[in-house]
Amino acid sequence: MKIGIEIHQRLDSSKLFCNCSSHIVEGDPAFTIQRKLHPVLSELGETDDASRIESTRRRLFEYQVFSENNCLVEMDEEPPRNMNRQALLIALEIAKQLNATIVDEVYVMRKIVIDGSNTSGFQRTSVVALNGHVHTSKGLVKITSIAIEEESAGIVSSSDANATYRLDRLGIPLIEITTDPDIKDAAHLRETAEKIGMILRATGKVARGLGTIRQDVNISTEGGARVEIKGAQDLKMLPDLVENESKRQLELLKIIHELRLNHVAGVKKSIEDVTSIFKKTEASLIQKGIESGSVVLGQSLPGFAGYLGRELQPKQRFGTELSNYAKTAGVKGIIHSDENLSKYKISETEQKHLHEKLGDCFALVVAPEQQAKTALEYVIQRANMEFVPEETRKANPDATSSYMRPLPGKARLYPETDVPPIPITEELLSAIGSSESLEDKQKKLEKLLNKELAAKMIKSRYLHVFERLVKIKTDPKLAATTIENTLVSLRREGVEFQNVEKALLDLFEEFNKDTFVKAAIPEVLKGMVKGASAESVIKVYRLQKITGKELKKIIEDENHDLKAIMAKHRLQVDPAEVAKLLKGKK
Amino acid sequence: MYSKKILEQLKKKKIDIGDTITVKTKDYTYEGLLMPRPTLGDSDVLVLKLNTGYNVGITAESFELVATTSAKVETEQTEEPKKKGDIAILGCGGTIASRVEYKTGAVYPSITPKELRTTFPELEKWPIHSKQVFSLFSDDMNAHHWKLIADEIEQEIKDGSAGVVIMHGTDTLTYTSSAVSFMLQNLPVPVIFVGSQRSSDRPSSENKMNLINSVFSATKNFGEVAVCMHASTNDDFCYLHRGTKVRKMHTSRRDAFESINTKPMFAVDYRTKKFEELSEHKKRNKGDLISKKKLNDNVALVYVHPSIKPEFISKLDSYDGVVLMGTGLGHVPTGVFEAKNVKGIYKPIKELIASDIPVVMSSQCITGRVCLRVYSNGRLLKEAGVIGDDADWTPETAFTKLCWALGQTKKMDEVRKLMETNIAGELTSRSILE
Repeated sequence: MKIGIEIHQRLDSSKLFCNCSSHIVEGDPAFTIQRKLHPVLSELGETDDASRIESTRRRLFEYQVFSENNCLVEMDEEPPRNMNRQALLIALEIAKQLNATIVDEVYVMRKIVIDGSNTSGFQRTSVVALNGHVHTSKGLVKITSIAIEEESAGIVSSSDANATYRLDRLGIPLIEITTDPDIKDAAHLRETAEKIGMILRATGKVARGLGTIRQDVNISTEGGARVEIKGAQDLKMLPDLVENESKRQLELLKIIHELRLNHVAGVKKSIEDVTSIFKKTEASLIQKGIESGSVVLGQSLPGFAGYLGRELQPKQRFGTELSNYAKTAGVKGIIHSDENLSKYKISETEQKHLHEKLGDCFALVVAPEQQAKTALEYVIQRANMEFVPEETRKANPDATSSYMRPLPGKARLYPETDVPPIPITEELLSAIGSSESLEDKQKKLEKLLNKELAAKMIKSRYLHVFERLVKIKTDPKLAATTIENTLVSLRREGVEFQNVEKALLDLFEEFNKDTFVKAAIPEVLKGMVKGASAESVIKVYRLQKITGKELKKIIEDENHDLKAIMAKHRLQVDPAEVAKLLKGKK
Repeated sequence: MYSKKILEQLKKKKIDIGDTITVKTKDYTYEGLLMPRPTLGDSDVLVLKLNTGYNVGITAESFELVATTSAKVETEQTEEPKKKGDIAILGCGGTIASRVEYKTGAVYPSITPKELRTTFPELEKWPIHSKQVFSLFSDDMNAHHWKLIADEIEQEIKDGSAGVVIMHGTDTLTYTSSAVSFMLQNLPVPVIFVGSQRSSDRPSSENKMNLINSVFSATKNFGEVAVCMHASTNDDFCYLHRGTKVRKMHTSRRDAFESINTKPMFAVDYRTKKFEELSEHKKRNKGDLISKKKLNDNVALVYVHPSIKPEFISKLDSYDGVVLMGTGLGHVPTGVFEAKNVKGIYKPIKELIASDIPVVMSSQCITGRVCLRVYSNGRLLKEAGVIGDDADWTPETAFTKLCWALGQTKKMDEVRKLMETNIAGELTSRSILE
């Protein structure tokens, strides 16, 4: 098995081809616009399979426009501005950290994407460097290429006829890091992804938070095919994803082998209109379809009986594969004869008629005639593949994956003629920032923290917060434990900060003034979660530190009993100070 | 284009554009297709298409041929046989018919009949034939090309076409549409100019909707020159603007074209094919076509501004006619009322007219009507013989109309009469609230 990974990480910069902010704010769109897309020829005079298939759906796209994050560029109503220099410099800096060779001229390309996620129908993308590498516990993993590209629009809803996207995130700069298929196994995959993620975060110049990093995995098995699985947001999912995909390819190979042994020849196109069988049907799905003008078309699949129900991945059968191909024609899926048809309320008589007309094994589609026909043609096409097809698949939350489209080819890319090539000049190279390498950063952390905490911190998504806290002279160990322990247990109690950085900076600025004690930190944070300042929380909840004369009085009142003092005043007194005063008394 | 040095090396190694080559640098060896160089940038840098499809620019230490390409040079037909009752589609270049050119990587205006049918399969719904008249950026077009286009339209009408659609670049589209409106009158068929703001090499191009709407509209019953473009930023419907009353009002938006001082003639819905009348228009003319195609484009169009020099206006005497884009209601600095600090252009204007060069007024306000009766400087211009009082034409239409009028007659009186008569809907009698 060969594994490679593509990492997409948003950069901390304004948009790539206009001056809109990349800072996404909550709220309603200012207005919406409606568009259609259609396929075009590439510079080599070809159209891309993936985009041709999407175009058969002829969907209408609706785009939500946000005043702070959008201008005419994202609406595809104005040519792109020059490439954002700051973003390009960050990409070049990352290229250096990944030991890659920077190209001499950057060419902006258009990558055709006509699922509507880009208003223009393409994503602007440019290779800035090639041939890098990262060190891992299992050897070098080579980096094939490093590209800078535009983030796509975020999907809001989608149906057969329409899809709605929000444009606020369209155009945010992303860096795409593609590795060679050097990754040895599932664990190594996770390690590589983590390592690259850490290198990216160590620059301090990438966006943080949910959805700012995404991984696509490339897997090919022996005898199988290269498959790209998109959109794994969680690193923890990667090992299962690899295992499920390898299982799927293996099962497919078995099915192909058995079909061959059984001399199952290719499925011939013989699409039949079987709508009349369902004249008086109780099957509401079919009944509703017919009422709204759809037809029921069937295709015989001789020799496939028993195979359609064969499981490839958890909850995904061979029939699901056929169904997912059909779905690209815009239909809801297929009904096939390896399913329990009674579950759709298709009567015994109807089933009998279906088998009479279509044989032992078949697929049905309920849709408007042309669409249903196209869908069944895709089913035939998939059934006749005597190999594991190269595909782009989508990661599902349960670590299985579903077919999206064929692997995009070369024809998908052609030059963005609105942006001239960008020469990588000496001036630009000398302007590249020199952030610390991951190794340097690790060494520095080990000086500040014990080894275990340092290892935790280097992987933390709040590493930058830690660094800022240390800068304002917070005790490193306290800063690290607050981030790694206190915040984690508060999160379990449901106390979650929208802006962790802001909260912790406020907390420790106050703490460093010596106005409250360490033990009160969780309480102060709890009070701050709805946006109150640390200072006001301390006042309102009476968490001010008790010291000096007042503390002496408490010691007197409690008869010098340390245990009693701490039990009553734990959140307000510093045990070290109490101990010192007690000692002094003696 | 590559530098001479690179070209020589390519020749020596028998490498053509499109061949697979390896490129060595001190750090790395690249392999890819050699792509043509855009005009910008360092001409010593090789452009390679990697096998991922990405292009990158590399300064080579050395490079070698790996495999040659079987480059296909297709010579395509540019004209199709016609049938009576067809809708004729004439290509004149522009964004609507542009594509990325393999050799240069640039957007290049060209579309052949075959490409038209492959790109827009929906055209099969109507009987059409198409012809490439020429392929130019509209900025490179002038009266010579307006005449070529008018000739082609006239020929199509004579050959029995039921409607004519002309694909044209958008920048100067309204000059052509208004000029043709004067050159061909009493039209028996719709003549529709269409363009697109987004190039046809992108999936979002509005060329498809504009073209399909144009062809559909060309089957309808009206006999005028129209411009069919997006009505809004949405891909929902187009307006058909009158050829003499339309103006490009935005540099890049899809809905850049607007009817000035009037409503569009029609709205046509792309999805429902609803064809709605929005204002008065002429039906298909049953009588004879009036063809008056002679033009004299020795005409200047001048933007009036503070500090404009009298000598500049005097030098316009080498032209046969002048159109001014005046301020406000149609004004210029006259210098009559404040002679100390102002060098007005009233005197040289008067001199131009005295030497039989017609001077026509339009307004840089674009919307609204010229009125030379309200303020003293306007009255002075009117007295001097400036043409255009009460006109609500666009500056561009005033320009093409003067070119046309000067093509019809050399006599100042007759030019004035033609200019003041509504010929093709360029002058309206009522200013409506839109």
